[in-house]
Amino acid sequence: MSDPLSRLGGSTARRLSRLGALARFGFGALRSLATLPAAGRAVALRVTLNQIRFTATDAIGLVVLLSGILSFLVISQAVRELGQLGATDFIGTLIVVAIVRELGPLITALTVAGRSGTAIAAELATNRVLGEVRALEAMGIDPRQYLVLPRFFGSLVSVFVLLVVFDMVAVSAGLAAARFNGMVAGRYFQIVLQSLALKDVWLTVAKAVAFGLIVGIVPAYFGLAVRGAPTDIPVATSRATVTSIVGIFLCSALFVVIG
Amino acid sequence: MTVPLAIDGVPLGAGGGGARDLAPLTVAVPAHEVVALLGDEGSGIGRLGGYALGLERPPAGRIAVFDTIIADLPERERLAYRRRVGYLPAGDGLLQNLSLRNNVALPLRFGSDASPREIEGRVSVMLVAARVTGVASLRPAQATEEERRRAAFARALAFDPALLILEQPFDGLTTRTAAELLELARGGEIAEGARRTILITGHELPAGLHHRVERVYRVTRAGTLQLEPA
Repeated sequence: MSDPLSRLGGSTARRLSRLGALARFGFGALRSLATLPAAGRAVALRVTLNQIRFTATDAIGLVVLLSGILSFLVISQAVRELGQLGATDFIGTLIVVAIVRELGPLITALTVAGRSGTAIAAELATNRVLGEVRALEAMGIDPRQYLVLPRFFGSLVSVFVLLVVFDMVAVSAGLAAARFNGMVAGRYFQIVLQSLALKDVWLTVAKAVAFGLIVGIVPAYFGLAVRGAPTDIPVATSRATVTSIVGIFLCSALFVVIG
Repeated sequence: MTVPLAIDGVPLGAGGGGARDLAPLTVAVPAHEVVALLGDEGSGIGRLGGYALGLERPPAGRIAVFDTIIADLPERERLAYRRRVGYLPAGDGLLQNLSLRNNVALPLRFGSDASPREIEGRVSVMLVAARVTGVASLRPAQATEEERRRAAFARALAFDPALLILEQPFDGLTTRTAAELLELARGGEIAEGARRTILITGHELPAGLHHRVERVYRVTRAGTLQLEPA
């Protein structure tokens, strides 16, 4: 029987090995872009646009709702509480740092992971179980070019687009909340713009890219890793979602450290 | 002379070295001939296509396609080499989210540098040859089994391959349709004008097709290979 330390070591080694496999999968998918012929690029672009429609366009309503409610609640409370202390200037920091820089990317990525990541994992796992991936390989088609790259770029673009929507709605809902609590619009924008630095912009963009990578690659990896029966599909979907969520939180923590 | 497909000492049966493993199989598919390898469900005959294309490795022995073991090639060359072989997997392997037309076009779009116009032209020719033009816009789930199989044949022939591997190609088809599709597969369209080399694997071959196939082998329960009379 192995001791707890060995078990812990074994578990860590397995996780690191999976991380390595994920990284190899991601790099392999990106590298396959170089050998994509022109006609294949046109097909991949069509699939990518379809992915963006499903992941970004169809999710705008949900992101608007989440962002609007979150921002309205936070700013309403902040204006009231900070107003009593005479520190309403801090709502700028709250909007920029807490909502735009931290919660915006986090909630957007979690929304995409929960809504589209699961769909990607389930779809690719089904492709695998139905023998479609095997058929692609047998025909000399790299499944990463047809199945992975469009979902990867689709997720990347979608997270970025939804993040912009989230931030715009958050700032607008914050304005509504501030006005609702007696603050004039000019003052609100002055406070927000004063709190906004260039670092906030590039950090938000970097997060959108990093989270887009996670949401695009992790579900595709777990979906294509399925080997057996249809009963493996929900298992793969669940693993993909959990791993994406953990990855997004870990990545978010890393950005706090480096930012 | 290069043998299009040579199977040398590949064990069949359940695999894994158990009691259900059969004797190693050695057989060659000569150029321009149609060879059928038939066997029961547990004979493992259905794995030969995957072994030949390098999708899996046989537990022992080797399968060479035009003197090349595809599984030994580097990844990109392996993919490119597979395009020399037309493959019809058991159950057709069509992509469910694509129309029959796009299923036929897919290998050409991802595996050739042909222009979209050339690809569309080739796809149209294949759809006419397989007689599925009228239903080409349907997705596999909307088409009948025969239409799906016809489209799968058209896709397998898209690159005009010199060698075809067909897994259970005629299951569920009438003898007339099976004969028509076998003739389409044999073709005469390759550059030399010669007929294609074909390996058919499956459980049974429709009786009316035996005279159209040069050799029919059956893997017996003992694992030996028996040549069936024409």
